Amino acid sequence: MSVLSRTPFPAAKQRLRTPNDSPLKLFCLLPAAFWYGVFFLLPLIFLLWIGFWRVENYVNVPDFTALNYIEIGENLFARARYGLALLQSLYVALTNMVFAVGFAYLIALALVYAVPERWQRLALLLTIAPFWSSYVLRLYAWQTILSKSGLLNATLGYLGMDALKVDIIYTQIATRIGLIHFLAPILVVIMYVTVRNIDRTLIEAARELGASRWQVFRKVILPLSSFGLALSGSFAVIIALGDTLSPSLLGGGAGSSWLGNIPVFSGMLIADYASSTNLPRTSALATILVLVMVGMLLLGYRLAERARRNISE
Amino acid sequence: MEERNHWIFAGRAWMAVAFVFLYLPLAVLILFSFQKNRFPGLPLKGFTWSWYEKLFDDGILTVALQNSMLVTPAAATVATVIGFFAAYAMNRFVFRGQALALAVMVMPILIPTLILGVAFLGLLSRLNLSGTLFSIFLAHVLLITAPAMAVIQLRLSQMPKSIEEAAWDLGASELQALYKVVLPWAWPGIFGGWLLAFTFSFDEFVIAWFVSGFDQTLPVAIYSILVAAIDPSLNAIGSIVFLLSGLILVAIELVLMRVLLRAKAETPAE
Repeated sequence: MSVLSRTPFPAAKQRLRTPNDSPLKLFCLLPAAFWYGVFFLLPLIFLLWIGFWRVENYVNVPDFTALNYIEIGENLFARARYGLALLQSLYVALTNMVFAVGFAYLIALALVYAVPERWQRLALLLTIAPFWSSYVLRLYAWQTILSKSGLLNATLGYLGMDALKVDIIYTQIATRIGLIHFLAPILVVIMYVTVRNIDRTLIEAARELGASRWQVFRKVILPLSSFGLALSGSFAVIIALGDTLSPSLLGGGAGSSWLGNIPVFSGMLIADYASSTNLPRTSALATILVLVMVGMLLLGYRLAERARRNISE
Repeated sequence: MEERNHWIFAGRAWMAVAFVFLYLPLAVLILFSFQKNRFPGLPLKGFTWSWYEKLFDDGILTVALQNSMLVTPAAATVATVIGFFAAYAMNRFVFRGQALALAVMVMPILIPTLILGVAFLGLLSRLNLSGTLFSIFLAHVLLITAPAMAVIQLRLSQMPKSIEEAAWDLGASELQALYKVVLPWAWPGIFGGWLLAFTFSFDEFVIAWFVSGFDQTLPVAIYSILVAAIDPSLNAIGSIVFLLSGLILVAIELVLMRVLLRAKAETPAE
């Protein structure tokens, strides 16, 4: 494996073997290379490729045709309405990002500035702990809480406050509640690290120079958090675009929003596969979703870069 | 100082709101797994074990739990072995494309499982492997190798290079040094990485849904019951699963973090 053995100079061959030239290097990397090659890169290549196959008599036939993409393109706003589903996805994911990041940011700020140092670790751990419970079951619990005759409404009725009853199950609002519950622990970790790394002397200096608390937040804390905010924002969008469980269990499939009763794209993809088992079309849909996500990531990356530049200036 | 207390109070109040939001579903799950209520709500109708009994009488979920207990430990073990070797190589060696290799290894966590699920289905149906527990195992190993590797690498990065070099100088072969020096040092990291990998695989739904066929893992079986009807025995299985994950989390926090943090404090002595 030594690079040296390929050099034409015999003197180089006699150089001492360093700990970096060892047969163990190849041996240790081989299992990972094999697994990632066969079960990661290969499936991804397959995903792109199968998107160009066609289906004949319910059998997938290898081909190189754009028929799937043409079919999806023709049905953007008619019949299956893939385009509307994509819009619904983007609408839910982007609005959800605002609430999720805001929620997590406020928790992180409260953790760092309002919780005494020796309790911070425990408080952070308690915030992250729900992440380790089953996602499906957490959504089930939310379902029992939010449904029409669920815990929330039953309790309100029991207390004689019928006027306050909510009817949000099977709407995209419920979808967002499930998503935020899933995202919060991850986002809190990102934002906690961000806020925690802000130099306290900057805050003290601003205070000494007469800035109000709100001004300190606006002019010092917020700009210094912007990189973390952009990072967690992109993360929230990607997860929301890819999630199928919350839109299905809390959003009820075609959850309503002001766009109408339209499923999100990921949910439509799964439903489409479950009803048709048309793998080529599903692969094409998945490829489109990947492209949208990459676009969103690039957008998030540009925002993060700009935030970083602003900080360093 | 008055004003400051004001803000701190607001922060703590927000923390309280956040904790209520985060723990409400878990509390509901556990509370109603022990209540006679058919539908969750007030008033509470009294304590019962019947949902737990029903859970084990029904059998669907227990079969799924058995499936999960087959797939998850196997996937976690293989992922930890791959992750250990990769972490060792990343930590000790310098090679071309190292940054790229690291990026590729982290990618499966960042790519939504929905995409991976469809991609796997394509490959596995081509290999005639789809619809088996084995295919879920293959996919899960990929998904959980990176988290396992991250924990192991964290531990290995704290190892003074001198102790491995000392073993070589004293005549150990590289393999012997790996086995007798590096492995014992990495042990807490390996254990922690395995636990982390275990929890990730245990809860993974989407890939398992796509490639499972009739051999369902626990999240898939729960989902299929839950889209059909509200069944309080789901509360029971939920409480059991949460207890299990809670124990794992406590194990990570108490055993692992303590070892990792202590090791960090000791190393400057080298």
